[in-house]
Formats: sequence, structure tokens, C-alpha cells
Amino acid sequence: MSRSEETLDLAGIPCPANAARALIAIEGLPSGALLRISLDDGEPIQNVPPALEEQGHAVVEKVRAGAGWQVLVRKGDQA
Amino acid sequence: MEIYLDNAATTKPAPAVLRAMSECARRCYGNPASLHRLGVEAAKAVERSRRALAEALGAEPDEIVFTSGGTESNNLAIKGAARAAGKRGAHVVISAVEHPSVAAAAQSLEERGVRVSKVGVDCTGIVDPAAVARAIRPATILVSVMHANHEIGAVEPVSEIGRLCRRHGILFHCDACQSFTKEPLDVAKAHADMLSVNAHKLHGPRGIGALYVRRGTALSALLDGGGQEGGRRSGTLNTPAIAGFAAAIEASDPRDALAMRRLRDRLWNALRRAVPGIRLNGPRSARLCNNLNVILPGTESKPLLQKLSAAGIYASAGSACSSAKTEPSAVLLAIGLSPQEAARSMRLSLSRWTTQAEVDAAARAISRILGGS
Repeated sequence: MSRSEETLDLAGIPCPANAARALIAIEGLPSGALLRISLDDGEPIQNVPPALEEQGHAVVEKVRAGAGWQVLVRKGDQA
Repeated sequence: MEIYLDNAATTKPAPAVLRAMSECARRCYGNPASLHRLGVEAAKAVERSRRALAEALGAEPDEIVFTSGGTESNNLAIKGAARAAGKRGAHVVISAVEHPSVAAAAQSLEERGVRVSKVGVDCTGIVDPAAVARAIRPATILVSVMHANHEIGAVEPVSEIGRLCRRHGILFHCDACQSFTKEPLDVAKAHADMLSVNAHKLHGPRGIGALYVRRGTALSALLDGGGQEGGRRSGTLNTPAIAGFAAAIEASDPRDALAMRRLRDRLWNALRRAVPGIRLNGPRSARLCNNLNVILPGTESKPLLQKLSAAGIYASAGSACSSAKTEPSAVLLAIGLSPQEAARSMRLSLSRWTTQAEVDAAARAISRILGGS
């Protein structure tokens, strides 16, 4: 099943500005919408997914993409 | 009565700005570099503002560096670009009417071996792009020309100058502190590599500004520290002021420029009728919408400004940075005025809140004081 998803490139954006931008981007989406985020390895992949989960969003997938990561997030109902 | 006609010096903060700052100071007090939830909340406020500023300039959020104001933005652009170039015998071009934060930064570079050329202006304060072209040498690394002049309101042909610089592979910096949100400006159209703005000229807070830095521009930091702002400007970000900056941008309306221009012209026409011999400094048409600068006939401006202040009408002799000095304004000398004429000059600058009744009252007061002196 494929569902349309928004994308957000946060490669090169340091913490916590990357988490802030991800949260701002997801705020503008309807509940249940998917957001695919490109993140750097290291602190960004360690910090951004938990920050999204803390705000009620679900991290659906985390996959390696070259030197970085692709993270698929579903917007939470209450977020 | 309080009639504030010194808006080129600074402006009264807008209610929406004060609300945004207060809300941010109460709710987003975490350090926007901290990784915990309060830090992320503060970072969200910063990033929202960064996006608003980037959109207003036609830039990308990553190209915005927050600073403490226009002076720091100008210093960072000029000194940072020269440091990054790192070449001995480098050459920088500025105009003769730049704000002191550009002129003094260039002078500081000169004391460190960088050669600096100052391009003159015509009698209305306009820089000729051909003169900039003539000033460019093989060693030129940077040209800095302002968008709108802080004293006489001259709006410079920055797009043409920027295009020229881009063609020569030279960095172009533009100080847009006076014109931001008042004159249309897009960093791409201006071919700007760097562009300075601040908040307090548009009813935002003091102590916050930004430098647009085009992606790929080599720029060395001036402050050593925690490496905030992508390493270009260390120091804990002033989150409430940054939120206030965005609120000021959001509260601005391009239609205000038309209203300010109409009232500014009304003020000038009233003064021309009431004060025989009064003259205009600066251009008639290529002029910032809220700026009026005049030479008074046969009297220095400072006694008049004191009397106006006593009557609740506030204006300045020149820029806020130089009005307390005794030397004549470099801008007014650059347009060919004598020191005596410069001392007889006065700047009246409007805001979007200036009313017709206020400009009429100011014109009457000036006429009455001059008539009685």
C-alpha cells in the first residue's frame, strides 16, 4: 500500500533546529499524514525521532540512505 | 501631544510584537541549542521566525544568520568576507554614503592592510553603477552598497550593482536596514550575496537583526564560542527578540509604503509653502517612502529640533548614530553640501502610524518656530 507523503530534507541541519523544523513541518499536516525526513547520522538520528515521538507522532520507519537516514513519521491524532 | 518623526532612528514596537515577545519569553525560555523539550520549543520559535524572514527576503531559511542588529550584520559581512578571502592586498569597494557600521568596518580592514575604495554619489546621493565598475580591480573581493540611505532616503540601484558584481565574481553586500519591508527587495533580484536587516526599524524589538548569506558564500565568524548559527555567529540566540522580529515582519504591509509616501509628500509640500528657501536633500523620486530631509534657510537645525522636542515633536538632525556628534554628516558632505548647510539640515521620518493631522501639525510648528526665530 502506498500513501502520499510529504518530504523534508534536514541533512546538514544541526540539533535541535532539525527537530524544530520537523515538528513545524508536521504541524501543518492532517492527522495520520506521513512525512519522510532526511537526517544526518550521529546526533540527528539519535535526537530527532525521540523528539517527534515525545510530541505524539509515530516513527514508522528508519532506514539508512547513503551517509544519512530516511525517517518516515506519521502525524499523531492528538499532536 | 507626541508626534514621532524619527522613525529612521528607531520605531515604536507594534502591539503584536510585544505580545509575541512576551509569550515567547514566558513559554520558550529554554535555550534553543538545548536538546530537551524546552530547548526544542525555543528552537521551534527560532525556526518559525527564520522561515518568516527567509520568505520576506526570497531566501532559504539556512541562509539566515541571526545577529544583534544591523551594525553586527554589517560588520560580520564586511570583516567576515575579508577574513574568509584571506588574501593579502585584498580590495573592498563601498559607497561614500554608507552607514557608519559599514564605513567603520571598512576602515578597520584598511588598518589591517585591505585596500578600500569609496565610490562617490551624485548630488542626490545616488551611486552610479558605472562608477562601481570603474572602482573594481583584480584584487576586489567585496562591494558593499546600501539599499536605502539612512539620512536622505536615496534608494540605490542595487540590482544593477549586484549584477555587475556577480558578473565579475565579486561578493556583493547590501545594507537593507532602512528599507526592509518598506521597499520591495528580493535577494535574488538584488544579486546579493549578503544582505543586512534589523527589526527595530519596522516596529520590532531592538537588539535583533540578521544577515542573509547566500549558500556557498565564504564567511568567517567574528565571535568565537558555541558555534551557533552554523558556526557563523556564536552566542545564545535571543529567542523572544527573534519571535518579535518575525511578528514585526508579519505585521508589516506593503500598502503602508504608499500611505507613508503620500503623507511624506504632504509634509514636504506644506513646508515648501510655509518656509521660503527650504530645500530638499536627497532624490525626489528614487527615495524611501518615509524619509524627508531638508535644509533650513539661514538657521541651524539643532535649536529648531530642541524647540520641536519641547513641543512634543521628535525629529533628528541626521542619523541616530551621528546626530549627537559635532562633525558634519558624512552623507550630507558626500552629496556636496557645505558643513554649514549640513548643520542646517533636518531629517523627518514617518512610520505607518503617522497621521495626516500629525504631519500638518509638524509643518505648522516648524513654520511657527522658524517664523519667530
